[in-house]
Amino acid sequence: MRYFAMFLLTIREAVLRGTLLFYFVVGNCIILFFAFALGLSPDDPSMITFFGNPLTPRNLGNINPIEFILIQVQRSSSSSILLFGVFAVAGLIPSMLEKGTVEVYLSKPLSRGALLLARSFGASAGVAVNLLYFAVGVWLVFGLKLGVWNGNFLLSFVAVCASFLLFFSIVAIAGVITKSAGFSIMLAFLYTFFSSALESREMFLFKIWGNEIYHSALDVLYYSTPQLSSMLENSSRIIGNLPIGPNANQPFDPLPFVYSLLSATVLYALSIRYFSKQDY
Amino acid sequence: MPIVETTSIFKTYRSGVFKRVTVPALVDVSLSVDSGEIFGLLGPNGAGKTTFIKILLSIVHPTTGGATILGETLGSLKIKEKIGYLPENHRYPQFLTGYQTLHFFGGLSGLTGPALRDRALSLLDLVGLSEWKKVKIKRYSKGMLQRLGLAQALLNDPEILFLDEPTDGVDPVGRKEIRDLLKDLRKQGKTIFLNSHLLSEVEAISDRVAILNKGKVLKVGTVSEITSRALEYELRLDKTVSESLKSLILPHTTSLKVEGTSLIVGVKDQEALNTIIDRVRSEGIHLAGLQERKSTLEESFIELIQAKGQA
Repeated sequence: MRYFAMFLLTIREAVLRGTLLFYFVVGNCIILFFAFALGLSPDDPSMITFFGNPLTPRNLGNINPIEFILIQVQRSSSSSILLFGVFAVAGLIPSMLEKGTVEVYLSKPLSRGALLLARSFGASAGVAVNLLYFAVGVWLVFGLKLGVWNGNFLLSFVAVCASFLLFFSIVAIAGVITKSAGFSIMLAFLYTFFSSALESREMFLFKIWGNEIYHSALDVLYYSTPQLSSMLENSSRIIGNLPIGPNANQPFDPLPFVYSLLSATVLYALSIRYFSKQDY
Repeated sequence: MPIVETTSIFKTYRSGVFKRVTVPALVDVSLSVDSGEIFGLLGPNGAGKTTFIKILLSIVHPTTGGATILGETLGSLKIKEKIGYLPENHRYPQFLTGYQTLHFFGGLSGLTGPALRDRALSLLDLVGLSEWKKVKIKRYSKGMLQRLGLAQALLNDPEILFLDEPTDGVDPVGRKEIRDLLKDLRKQGKTIFLNSHLLSEVEAISDRVAILNKGKVLKVGTVSEITSRALEYELRLDKTVSESLKSLILPHTTSLKVEGTSLIVGVKDQEALNTIIDRVRSEGIHLAGLQERKSTLEESFIELIQAKGQA
């Protein structure tokens, strides 16, 4: 119950951040947009219309146009929540460690480790609340207007929320060490690009230098840090496989989630150890 | 039996890129505090008062040494269930109201349900913030935040209360109310650690006082023990003091100072004082007044700090 109080307060603090409120407003606009734009043709109920015009599928392979739209919605919203979410909650760990605040928390009968985890999970849950609200909204629109109740669409968003929590381990360790919201945000964004570059290391980073040790070092980095880019890519594959793009027709791979869970566990453990040793 | 007992606590802060610069914050601090007393911690800025309190609360780790609180060693979460703390310059989430703040911190302290609600409301009433309970704390004045902080520290009905500058920013009336509240808490058997730069305040309510300077304990005792000097009297005379009178009384004094027509004499006992008065009269000088000189806590504090500074 004690830690739940901190968890709830952090969710509340997160959802009240301006950037997430903005995301909430934009999310509602997108839900309304789909609610007005999508429909079924009165002449042919199997034909989807977009503002009254029939939606003609192009070369989409095995995937149907609804799944294609859902995948695109999922990809764009999960990328944008990363942007807005990091801005909104990366400062929550440093704000907990501010002088005058941390002393009160540490004087309560709470372990430092559980306090840090409650804060981190609360921050991620604050982002998840926004993302899942949007996902359920879009899911309801597609279900009510088109009769498509795609459970995998919701599941893919759960995977995005889990990805954010694992990714947040980077923000948490940066936050406890630097106690700086600005640095945590900057590092989180740098890591986002870094993660993406590491995922496609064979195509770009390996070509910069042919050294084997360098290649091995990049491999170690990839597997020892949360694989954000891979997790997001795979979360959209829960809905279906896109027939286009560099990773076309790849099946869902759970391994990036497993590796990321392990690396995030290590990072959270290191954060807790550092936090426990510090004087405030 | 002491409720708080510290044994030779040392704390050294390290700074610099390679942590090579060391700053001693506490040096061999051993103190014991009995149950039910108000214990004042005094010292100039940077003396180590806050560090000492933070070590007792496990917010800062001691370099060496240890302590027991209520029989438990430092770091035990069980201790913290029986402790209340009001830090200096505390900050609470600005988007919460006064009631929500207490509700949140009560939750962190392990209170739930109606007990939590009732406790939060009664404490808001106790510190005079009932009418402000639904107002966001970002609208509170410094004094109101201080009262809210005190209520926060009392949420779990603690056995020991650590207060760091509890009346900072509070108006004189509010200060008196807080002093009265602390006296009430003492009557209820609570032990209070009071860290304040307002010496008159500490003097007014503390049972015992410790003076810290540069991390070291200079003196521990009751306020009267700390303020007591060797017997010193001021004798106001009707004539100026001659050199022959000075030489007459000098053998009976421990100190002698002349200020206009007044003689300030330090004596070993009342007998010596009577002898001095006899010598004064024998010189044909009349005594216009006699007064014992006693120092305030502030004077004693400054004397002690300056004496140790020169040593």
